[in-house]
Amino acid sequence: MIRVEHLTKVYDTGIVRVQALTDVNLEVRKGEFLAVMGPSGSGKSTLLNILGCLDRATSGSYHLEGIPINTLDENELAHIRNRKIGFVFQTFNLLPRMDALRNVEVPMLYSGVGPRERRKRAWEALEKVGLADHALHRPNELSGGQRQRVAIARALVNDPDIILADEPTGNLDTRSGLEIMAIIQGLNRQGATVILVTHEHEISRHAQRVVHFRDGRLVRTEVIAEPVQAEKTLRENSQQ
Amino acid sequence: MNFWEMIKMAMENIWANRMRSALTVLGIIIGVMSVIMVVSIGQGGKARILREMEGIGTNIFGVYIGSTDDDYEKYRITLEDCRAIEESVESIEALSPLVYGYAVVEASPRKESAYVYGTDSDYNRIQNIRMAEGRFFSSIDNAVSRRVAVINRRLAEELFGSARMAVGKKLKIQQVSVVVCGVAESGSGMFGPESPMVYMPIKLHFELFDSEESINQIYGSAAHKDLVEESARKAIRVLEVRHQVKDSNVYQFVTLSQQMEAVDQVLAIITMIIGAIAGISLLVGGIGIMNIMLVSVTERTREIGVRMAVGARREDIMRQFLLESVVLSVTGGLVGVVLGVGISAVVCMAMKIPAVISFGTIILALLFSIAVGVFFGIYPANRAAKQDPIEALRYE
Repeated sequence: MIRVEHLTKVYDTGIVRVQALTDVNLEVRKGEFLAVMGPSGSGKSTLLNILGCLDRATSGSYHLEGIPINTLDENELAHIRNRKIGFVFQTFNLLPRMDALRNVEVPMLYSGVGPRERRKRAWEALEKVGLADHALHRPNELSGGQRQRVAIARALVNDPDIILADEPTGNLDTRSGLEIMAIIQGLNRQGATVILVTHEHEISRHAQRVVHFRDGRLVRTEVIAEPVQAEKTLRENSQQ
Repeated sequence: MNFWEMIKMAMENIWANRMRSALTVLGIIIGVMSVIMVVSIGQGGKARILREMEGIGTNIFGVYIGSTDDDYEKYRITLEDCRAIEESVESIEALSPLVYGYAVVEASPRKESAYVYGTDSDYNRIQNIRMAEGRFFSSIDNAVSRRVAVINRRLAEELFGSARMAVGKKLKIQQVSVVVCGVAESGSGMFGPESPMVYMPIKLHFELFDSEESINQIYGSAAHKDLVEESARKAIRVLEVRHQVKDSNVYQFVTLSQQMEAVDQVLAIITMIIGAIAGISLLVGGIGIMNIMLVSVTERTREIGVRMAVGARREDIMRQFLLESVVLSVTGGLVGVVLGVGISAVVCMAMKIPAVISFGTIILALLFSIAVGVFFGIYPANRAAKQDPIEALRYE
């Protein structure tokens, strides 16, 4: 469903030439939960930007559900981002002046969904992440974990094929982080393909497969036979 | 997202920074307001002046002695001249001589300074003077220099309390007692009500002011609007022959249409000056809008990144910011229209002129503010749309 072949990304500022990705080959199955690990500067964010159609590869190919992404123009990329991809960021990136509900509506503004339908779907998405009772709060009235849940609801709302999460627990305390992981795992169980970028070992253990990056290369693939279940960890923690 | 939703969103963003937005659109507000005010007060004033002039009659003209450096004595206009003109120029329907004076008018115990005009019984017809009480003095009064006078309502009220009370009363002008035979309605000039006035038979005037027979101005009315200038020229020709004038600039004439043209010219100049000020104000306002939109684009860099990440195309971003600057400038335009209309209504009421609010001007002003919003919004909107989404998402 995601197929990346010989992907290379070079940043050329004119003064410095940075090889961010070198000959990356990767396949992600539908419904898989993949973690991308690596230290900073290893190219994992570059990969995520390319997979998320925010950036283009210098060479190589990228197919998303059979669509050759590297041949698309800017507007087509925007369309793919809108319909097929849901982003979750480390810093949440909610719009500060809008309440949770309207933040979740934003992607639908660009997919031609009417106001009533938009509202309904935003409510449903917030319900999925357990935040319907905070729908009319603005981001500054929500905790970090709650904000990230709003962001996940926003990523879900257009029913994307993949959810791309870039260090989604990076700005959260352990408990909130686990709650977010539990939600992500729940979505994955319901069939969502998830690609998660992290540099934390424990977080990566929640995935079914981990790919390790170093200096722009995919150096190791690790299959996790028994992923950690965030919900179970939460239960255990609360019993202690 | 349909058009109205986009406008709503733009309004929300403007409202979120309402203080800043209000200060920004001040230039637009002032520009539009002054355009509306100039046009409506100017038009109102013009309408008022024209109405007043037409009330006097479009057929009238005046003849007077222009600048002469030598021998005023030789050129002074006499009653005999008037008779000659009346007899020889057929196109003239009526003719009145006029002498000016200024005196203290006494009706014990009250006193009042007033303009004292000496003229004949045709004057009220030529000038369209409406009588409030009594009558204008007659040709017989005039012929025998009867000691009567007509005063205007303003003077009657000052001296006797009301117009009705004045008729039949005695006045003392230059130590001579005259009887009030009528009260004329006061006209009202551009700058407030008419001054106190006295009209009296011309020979009585000469007698009272102890002056030789010298007429300041001849008022005539032509038989037809098209004959006004011709009649005036013929009248002057008669005077020139009678006084053996070689320099043809001694006697001059004035007609209503000349005066209207002069008024028009003055109004046109005023309109142009304030129009230019309004234009500059709109320009400055536009630059202000561009400035604040650039600030807004920078402040909302992350928002732009987020919107792009969830699927906004560059043109969506462009449209969002462009619409915001247009909504900003049109809001300024609307406030300017409301203030402009309001203030001109008040000013017109105070100046007692009809308020002419031109619908076309309002539309034009609003179109202009849209244009300002588009023109000065394009650059910031373009800048917003050109953001790199990855950079924008990282922006602190």
